[in-house]
Amino acid sequence: MSELPPRTSVKRWLVTTNHKDVGILYITTALFFLLFGGVLALAFRAHLWETGGTGLLADREFNQAVSMHGLLMVFWFLSPIATGFANYFVPLQIGADDLAFPRLNALSYWFYLFSGIMVALSFFQGSAYAGGWTMYAPLNVPTYTPAMQATTGGTATILGLALFLISVTVGTVNFLVTIHRQRAEGLGLWNMPIFTWSWLLTAWMMLFAFAALFAAALLLLSDRLFLTQYFSTDQGSGLLWGHLFWFFGHPEVYIVFFPALGIMFETFQTFCGRRLVGRKWVIIAMVLVAVQSFLVWMHHMFLTTINLEIKTLFMATTIGISLPFDLMVFALIYTMVKGRVRFTTPFLFSLGALVLFILGGITGVFLGAVVLDYEFRGTYWVVAHFHYVMVSGVTALVGGLYYWWPKMTGKMYSETLGKLNFAVYFIGFNLLYFPQFLAWETPRRVFNYAEGAQFYHQLSTVGAFVFGASFLIMFYTFAKSWVSGPDAPDNPWEYSRTAEWAVPSPPPLENWTGRPSYASGRLEFVDDSAAATDGGVAQGEGKAAEATVAHEEEHADHASIWPLGIGFGTFVFFLGLAGITPYVVQFAEGVAETVEYEPTREALSGLVGVAAEPNIIYPALTLLGIAIMGVSLFKFGVEEFNVPEPAIAERWPFEGVDNTKFGVWVFLASDVMVFGAIIGGYIFLRLHMGWGQWEKVPFASWPGLLNTYVLLTSSFTVILALVFAERKNKKGLLGSMLATLLLAFTFMGVKAYEYGYKFSHGEYWWTSIEYSVYFVTTGLHALHVILGVLIALFMVYRIVSVDAYLEDHRPVEYFGLYWHFVDIVWVFLFPLFYLM
Amino acid sequence: MAEIRTYALIYVALLLLGTGKFVFFEFDQYFTYTMAMGGTILLAVTKSLLIAGFYQHLVEEPRSITYMMGVAVFMVFLLAVAAGYSIQ
Repeated sequence: MSELPPRTSVKRWLVTTNHKDVGILYITTALFFLLFGGVLALAFRAHLWETGGTGLLADREFNQAVSMHGLLMVFWFLSPIATGFANYFVPLQIGADDLAFPRLNALSYWFYLFSGIMVALSFFQGSAYAGGWTMYAPLNVPTYTPAMQATTGGTATILGLALFLISVTVGTVNFLVTIHRQRAEGLGLWNMPIFTWSWLLTAWMMLFAFAALFAAALLLLSDRLFLTQYFSTDQGSGLLWGHLFWFFGHPEVYIVFFPALGIMFETFQTFCGRRLVGRKWVIIAMVLVAVQSFLVWMHHMFLTTINLEIKTLFMATTIGISLPFDLMVFALIYTMVKGRVRFTTPFLFSLGALVLFILGGITGVFLGAVVLDYEFRGTYWVVAHFHYVMVSGVTALVGGLYYWWPKMTGKMYSETLGKLNFAVYFIGFNLLYFPQFLAWETPRRVFNYAEGAQFYHQLSTVGAFVFGASFLIMFYTFAKSWVSGPDAPDNPWEYSRTAEWAVPSPPPLENWTGRPSYASGRLEFVDDSAAATDGGVAQGEGKAAEATVAHEEEHADHASIWPLGIGFGTFVFFLGLAGITPYVVQFAEGVAETVEYEPTREALSGLVGVAAEPNIIYPALTLLGIAIMGVSLFKFGVEEFNVPEPAIAERWPFEGVDNTKFGVWVFLASDVMVFGAIIGGYIFLRLHMGWGQWEKVPFASWPGLLNTYVLLTSSFTVILALVFAERKNKKGLLGSMLATLLLAFTFMGVKAYEYGYKFSHGEYWWTSIEYSVYFVTTGLHALHVILGVLIALFMVYRIVSVDAYLEDHRPVEYFGLYWHFVDIVWVFLFPLFYLM
Repeated sequence: MAEIRTYALIYVALLLLGTGKFVFFEFDQYFTYTMAMGGTILLAVTKSLLIAGFYQHLVEEPRSITYMMGVAVFMVFLLAVAAGYSIQ
C-alpha cells in the first residue's frame, strides 16, 4: 500500500482503488463509449435516409456499424455507467468506507477499459464483428461469414466481450460482498436506500446471467480460435446459441434497467418531497422481476423450432413479468400525486424515463404473444420497442448524472441549460424512435426498405441528429458547471434523505469522520475512538467531515499499480489470441494432408480460406501478455494491502463467514453457472442428435476412472493441508501442498495421454461436434486445474519464503474451496463423457 | 472442522462411490443402461454433497451460502431442462 497521489496527478488515476475514483473512471469511460456508439448510429441513420442507402457506408460497413452500435451501447455504455454510479454511491448509501475488495474493484475497471479498447481496435483488424449484436449462430463463426476473410477483427470483438464479462464477474462478486456484509449498524435490508436495492438485485442477476453469456462466449471463441464446431453444425447449433444468449439476454434488460429504475425512485422521492408510495411492495416487486427475469428467455425464440408447448408457457411467464412492473409504475405515479412535484432537471429526466418506459412496456406486450410475435419479430417494431425500454433507462441515468453531479464535483449546474437539455433530448428521442413504430414493416439490420416507409425513416434520421445534439448540450452544461458553476452545498436538494447527502460535496477520500450508524433509527456518526467515552458523538448533516477534505491529498490510502498491470497484460494476451486462428488453420491444413481418418478430412474441407494471413505479431503478443500477466499477478499476490473488515456492520444473511470466503463462494456460484451452461450445452446437443446416436469419444473409460481417483486424492491432500496449517505444522502443510501439485500433474499427464492417443489416430477437436464438445469441456476443466496449479505453486513459494499460512490459515481454506469445486465438476464429467 | 479420521473416511467413501459409477456401466449384464444412468447420477450427486458438505465445510457455514449455491445449481437445471424440453 502506498500514498495516493492528488487527483490532479495522472498517476492518481492509474493507481487508485478508491471507490469514488473508480466510479468516476467508469462514468467517464462509459460516456466515451456512448459517443462512440452514438456516432456509429448517426452514420447508419444518415445512410438510411433513402432506401438502399445513401452510399455513406459500404454494405459491410453498415453491418459493422449496426452490430457494433448495439454491442457498444449495451455492454460498454449502459451497464458500465450504472456500475460507475454504484461504485460511487452504494458504499456511501450503506455507510461503508469502500468496497470490500478495493484492488479487485480497480481490476474490474481496467478489464472494462481494456475490453473497450480491444473492441475499438477490432475495426482496424480487417473488420469488427458484423453479425448483429445478438451474435446469432451460424453467422457468428467464420465459416458462415464468407465475406469476412479477415476474421481477426471479429474475433477481437468477441475477445473484448469475454474480457468485459470477466470484469463484470469480478465486479459482481465485489458488490455482493460489500452490500451484504458492510452495511452500517442498524441498516437492515428493508431500510436500504432504494438505489442500492436496485443495484443489489442487479448484481444478483448479473452473477447468473453474465455467467451464461460467458459460457456462450467461451464456446464461440473456441470455434473462432480453435475451429471447434459448436455453432457451425446443423445439429442444434443455432438453438444452442439462442438458449445461452437469451438466458443472459432477457435478464440483461433488467440488469440495464434496474439501476435506472433505482434512480427514478430516488429522484421521485426527493423531488416530490415524499417517501415512495408502497415502498416495501416496490422492493418485493423488484425481487419478483429479478426472479422472473430468468423464466422468460424463450420469448426471444418464438420464431425458432422450439415446440409450441414451451412457447405457450413462456408467453404466460412473459405476460406475468409485466405485473410487478405495473405496481412499480403506479407507485411512481402515486408518489407524484401524493407529493408536491419540483420540476428540476433530474426529475424531468426521471419523469421522461417513466413515460418512455410505459410506451416501451406496452409495445413489448405485443412481442410476448406468440401469434403477434410471428408478425413483429425481426422488424422495426422490435427496434422501436427495444429502444423505448433501453433508452428509457438511459434517460433516467442522465437524470442520475444531473442528480449526483453536485455531489461528485462540488459544483452546481445551470437549471436552464439542464431543462433545455431535457426538452431537446425528449423531442429528439421521440422523433427518432416513434416513427419506427409506424415504419414497423421495415426489416431490421438492412438498409433496403419499402418506398412508403421513407418519410418515417427520414423523420427518424432527423430525430437521431436532434437526439445527438441533446448530448452536446449535456456535455456543455456539465463543462460550464465544472469551469464556472457555483459551489454545491452538502445537500442541494431539500428532501434527499440518503447518506451521501450527509457528507461534503465532493465527499472526502475516506467518506466519514465517524462511524455511520442507524442504530437510533436515523443516521448518526459515532466516534469510536478512546476519547469518546460517552458512547459516541452524533455529527448530524456531516459538517464535521468537511475538515478532512484539506487532508485528502496527503491521505495514505489504497494505491496499487498491479490491477492496471494485470488488466494491461490480459489485454495484450487477448489481442494476441485474436490473431492465432490462421496458425490453427495452417496446422489443420497440415493435418489434412496426412490424416487418414475421413471425418477429420471432411470437417476440414469447410475451413479452407476462413482465416487471414498469419502474422507473427499475434503469437508474440500472446507470449508478451502472458509474461506481463504473470509478473503483475505475482506482484499483486505479494503486495501488502490490508483492508480490514468493519468491526460493526449489518451482515444478514451472510454473517459467520469473512468477506473473502463469502467472495470465493459467490465466485464459485458464478463458476457453477459457467460450467453448468457448458455441460448443459453438451446435454442439449446430445438430446438434439438423439441421446443414443452420440459417439463416445474417449478410447476407454479407465483413464477417466484413474483421474477420478487422482482428483479425489488431491482433494484429500488439500484438506490435509488445511489441517496442518491450523496446527501450524509447516512441514505437513508444505508436504500436503506438494502432494496436491504432484497429483495435479498426474491428472494432466493422464489427460495428455488421452489427447495424444486421439491425435495419433487422426481424431481432433474439429472432427465432429462430439469431439468438439469432449475436447472443449474437458479442456476447460483442465484449464481450471492449471489455474489451481498456479495458485498452489504461489502458495508453496509463500510457505517456503515467509512461512505463510501458519498464523492465518484462511488462504489455504479458500484455495481448498476452489480445488474441491474443480473436483466436483469432474464428478459429473467422468460419467457424462466416459461412461454414458 | 472435522478430524483427519473423518476426512479419511469420507475420502474412502468417495473412492468407493467413484468406483460404483464405473461398475454400473462395466457390468452391463446386471444393469440396463437406464439403471446404470440413474445409479450413476445418484452416486454423483452423493459424492458432490459429501465433497461440498464436508471438504468445503458447507455444513458448518451459514445456511444462506448453501441456498446461494442451490440457486446456482437450480439455474443450471432450469436452463438445461427447459432447453432440452424445448426440442422434444
